[in-house]
Amino acid sequence: MFSRRDFMKQGLLPVFAGSAVPSIFANGVAAAAADSPQATPNGRILVLVQLAGGNDGLNTLIPFQDGAYHDARPTLRQDTGVLTLNNQLGLHPNLKGLKASWDAGQLAIVQGVGYPSPNLSHFASMSIWETASVQGGIGDGWLGRYLNYLDKVGESPNHALEGVSAGSLVPPELRSKTPVTALLSLSTFRLQPVNEHGTQVDVENPLMKFYGAFKTAGPAPFGALLDTTLQEALQASHALQATDATYQPKATYPAKSPIASSLKLVAETIVSGLGVRVAHVTLGGFDNHAREKPVHDKLLLDLDQALAAFMQDLAGHGYGDKVLVMTWSEFGRRVKENGSAGTDHGTAAPMFLLGAPVKGGLYGQQPSLADLDNGNLKFTTDFRSVYASVLQGYLNAPASELLGGNYEILPLLKA
Amino acid sequence: MSRRAVLATGAAGAGAAALAVLWKGADLTQILNRVRDLTHDYQGALSNPRVRAAHLLRRAGFGGTAQEVDRLAAMTTTDMAQSLLDYQQTSNATLDGQLPTLDLSSAKGPNPGAVQAWWLQRMVQTARPLEEKMTLFWHGLLTSGLDKAGPGQMYVQNELFRKMALANFDDLLKAVSKDPAMMIYLDTETNRKGKPNENYARELMELFTTGIGHYTEDDVRESARAFTGWTLQGGKQLRYTMQSAFIPRYFDSGQKTFMGKTGNFTGDDIVEILVPLRATAERLSTRLFSFFAYQNPEPEIVHHLADTFQQSHYNVGAVVREIFSMDAFYSAKAYRALVKSPAELTAQTLRATGADARTYLAAANAMAPMGQVLFYPPNVAGWPGGASWINSSTLLNRLNFANAAARRAPMSSPAQTGDQLTATLVDGNITNNTRDGLQAFAAAHPDDHAGLLFMTMATPEFQLN
Repeated sequence: MFSRRDFMKQGLLPVFAGSAVPSIFANGVAAAAADSPQATPNGRILVLVQLAGGNDGLNTLIPFQDGAYHDARPTLRQDTGVLTLNNQLGLHPNLKGLKASWDAGQLAIVQGVGYPSPNLSHFASMSIWETASVQGGIGDGWLGRYLNYLDKVGESPNHALEGVSAGSLVPPELRSKTPVTALLSLSTFRLQPVNEHGTQVDVENPLMKFYGAFKTAGPAPFGALLDTTLQEALQASHALQATDATYQPKATYPAKSPIASSLKLVAETIVSGLGVRVAHVTLGGFDNHAREKPVHDKLLLDLDQALAAFMQDLAGHGYGDKVLVMTWSEFGRRVKENGSAGTDHGTAAPMFLLGAPVKGGLYGQQPSLADLDNGNLKFTTDFRSVYASVLQGYLNAPASELLGGNYEILPLLKA
Repeated sequence: MSRRAVLATGAAGAGAAALAVLWKGADLTQILNRVRDLTHDYQGALSNPRVRAAHLLRRAGFGGTAQEVDRLAAMTTTDMAQSLLDYQQTSNATLDGQLPTLDLSSAKGPNPGAVQAWWLQRMVQTARPLEEKMTLFWHGLLTSGLDKAGPGQMYVQNELFRKMALANFDDLLKAVSKDPAMMIYLDTETNRKGKPNENYARELMELFTTGIGHYTEDDVRESARAFTGWTLQGGKQLRYTMQSAFIPRYFDSGQKTFMGKTGNFTGDDIVEILVPLRATAERLSTRLFSFFAYQNPEPEIVHHLADTFQQSHYNVGAVVREIFSMDAFYSAKAYRALVKSPAELTAQTLRATGADARTYLAAANAMAPMGQVLFYPPNVAGWPGGASWINSSTLLNRLNFANAAARRAPMSSPAQTGDQLTATLVDGNITNNTRDGLQAFAAAHPDDHAGLLFMTMATPEFQLN
């Protein structure tokens, strides 16, 4: 078992890690493609929705009949309007779109998801979820390893739009040996033209030469990073400009909602046929230590409305059965609310899987509110079991190889 | 080569293994000499006095003009650093005369964009570059953000960082613990006797002082009690309250057991327990060296700076002064070893192109697609920085910003030749390919001064600091 101390060491000592990677990658792609027929990737798309800051699972999937819930949450409990799933559990009143998906059999909820020896630091716990390793660290993300795998089996290797994230930074889950593209908008993802006297000047070719020379002349790792990144950027921008698809949303996305804008951008990228396999969006603001209710209510409303529009949009474009949405958060919140009408950092929480590919229903076991660990829930399903189920059951990828271990496969997905 | 492979190669720096052996036996002087000798292809660039001056001005500030570089290049290395460190003696009257007045009196405080533009203008026009650079450092370490705090509060916090830029760390942390923006951002404002809120106590240890692994969950719970008592008295307008106050009846004066000590601790007491810890000294030293020189400093360097910190009663100025006097700071390993953050890139660009009041607002907005919004860190850990500043989207936006800024540059100043531009912006130190390319561009477009300025700022050399 790793200690916090070990974790810290791993996090701070990236220097000597991974130095063998370049040669493996440089020589490995073509050879690996020839002898790895064990799985057939199937063009399915996974969209990851990160609820950053630690979502309050108990006020998302609500044990509304449990007296202990009411006792622990004197001001934060949801007394009315819970969207009941059975006689024990219900969704937060603002999750009406998700409830409709539940009724249509397109929402799977895994209860009590966490991992052993939970870490209550945002960043340590995020890193654990992102790398699917209880040591966290700066290695490839778990979906980055899936993208590496796609390259290895010859699925459009080094395709820059295979992995995309909405925003200006590439999230750690997608860290990989293959290009990944952060997107703010498709139309602006290009070098703006440089004009003299109204005549466009070619700057791409000179810049490619500048960066190409700096690749080896510049300091490691940045000389090569800049060169590689410019190549990826121009490749992706040419691909975006070459597509003649003019995206028309088939749903009305809420205005002034960052998560809706992000999901709309992902929908545009998907339906434009750019070869997206994994997409990532983030909704932040869940670290509700104080005055949680209005903030959390609004976040769930924004999430629900954005997801409803996204699913409708994709279905309208014929992508309904090709996309799976999965939510995650680095931890849930403390069972007992604090004195600030908020909640401190906690542990286990539910995950949602949404879309036509899922077999709707509740999975795993709701953690007991009577049997706590230092005021926190004891997890009942390991998050890597959910990852394994998606990798194997949906993406048709070798889960134990990509996760570095064997985890129970949950029957969350249609074959 | 892939992006990831690129990072892995660079991280496993060439001489690192050899150094590790040396660390075990040798004295510090020898180590630092070895660190200086660590090589990449820029060995020797910093032997040129102008390059040394330009390097220092980029790191301690936001880049120098040709005149500033000339002035510093005529000094010894010690005097050069001294002139930046002792900025209290430098008048900032010119800047003060040009800064817009922020309206702090209105109920909702100033417009967030106005505060962002105000700070960017300070970075560009200040006569005390290190003061602004340290303010940026503190903003990235002792984070608060507009997602919770109000713009007026962020302004007040920014002025606190500026005032205490090189102060003793315990004094700064005590002040920050009572700073309105921080109290909102990490919820100490709601932390009351009998109703503790763990948010600030946890991040104080995890991010601001010792780092993870040096405290227990019980330490988090107990120290949260010690930070009770301080609050904001703003009623429903908390985001616009500029002053904090201590209310004795909100304070939990009971016994707390924290890191093996027991007492009726206050928040200040907790700071006084945390700051002397070796883990705090090493963590802050690592952060400062990584901000100014290069990432992943050798253990011997961290050790030396941590000693300096502890022997100077936790004085940040003493550590920064030490960094600027180290051979490692002027080593080949340090040269262009940092990626310009969007704030650094934007400020240095505007110093090169000139700017007016509207430009600052536009430029502050242009930083968002480059990955950094002033007063709006992505989370309490601040911006991850380093290689994360560079991805395909941010790189295109950096280049597009250079293009827009060059086209907007006032035409009143005389156009510079290609050699003048490269001397000022990239130390005259570029690959032959880049030199040839810039010359070819200038020959093909002799009247397009803005184009040449853009091309110079679009070089890979300019992306690094």
